[in-house]
Amino acid sequence: MKKSSLVTQRKSPLLAAMSLKGSGKSQGHGAGKELALALPLTSLIDAFCIIVIYLLIGTQSGGVETNVSSKITLPGAETGVSIEKEIATLRIEKGNYFLDEKLIPKSALAAKLAELKTKAVQSVELMVQADTNMAYADLDPLLRAGSEAGIENLRFAVTPTR
Amino acid sequence: MKKDLNFELNILPVLDILSVLICFLLLTAVWMHLGTIDTKQAIGDNAASGEKNPPSLWVTLAKDGSIQLSLRDVTKAKSLEDSISKLSTGVNWAALESKIQALKEELPDLRTTVVRPEAQTSYGDVIRVMDQLKKYQFEGVGLSPLG
Repeated sequence: MKKSSLVTQRKSPLLAAMSLKGSGKSQGHGAGKELALALPLTSLIDAFCIIVIYLLIGTQSGGVETNVSSKITLPGAETGVSIEKEIATLRIEKGNYFLDEKLIPKSALAAKLAELKTKAVQSVELMVQADTNMAYADLDPLLRAGSEAGIENLRFAVTPTR
Repeated sequence: MKKDLNFELNILPVLDILSVLICFLLLTAVWMHLGTIDTKQAIGDNAASGEKNPPSLWVTLAKDGSIQLSLRDVTKAKSLEDSISKLSTGVNWAALESKIQALKEELPDLRTTVVRPEAQTSYGDVIRVMDQLKKYQFEGVGLSPLG
């Protein structure tokens, strides 16, 4: 027998496992013929895992997904309300101001916030993320800049304690 | 005789392992719930617009943890100038809470409050004071910039 014929005759073991076959004995016309495709269990497990992942993400994160720097320990609060829509985030880290992850010099803070306000269609809200041990003096420039830019709604990020 | 090079890569078990790994990573990840304390900051100058200021409670928070409470623009003839001494651990939170509660019972219409921290006051303490005020239905909680 030639080798090429050996290769073409070989059947996939995977396909073989997925198909239901007859008992192997001669059964007339349908002898050795594939009866039906078996349930592909591995693919079903895959799909099931993906659904589990989807549900986990859907149930655990609730509202809007927000990144918090690992260098920041947010203060705790009992009356914190959940975030329901995407809002601009201003992070204060060691006296540096990051507006949506972009470093903003202290002197340009008011101008940037004013720019944010002019771009916004609705009233602007700003979420402030800062370390619980930070001195209030580091927050003061933001309050002044916000007041200058006309932003009155400030939302201070906290970790709910209840 | 040459060796047969044809083989089938069994990809499904690999995908299974991958899916289980993703599940494992998701379960072990830190899911932190985030909330916010909302404030409404003053813009511009109220005095210029000629608007009458609403009755308000001013909470001055010192660096060492001592607190001063004062009422402003209250229609009743009552005036309040009270202070809460610090504890060795910092702010006396229990005393602050009881004073806010008593004040709210006495003046239920008092809804506006301004928190005035000092430059070196901890941000965590400022948020906690605001949290206490929100707990007792103070809706207009504002932060005062440094003088």
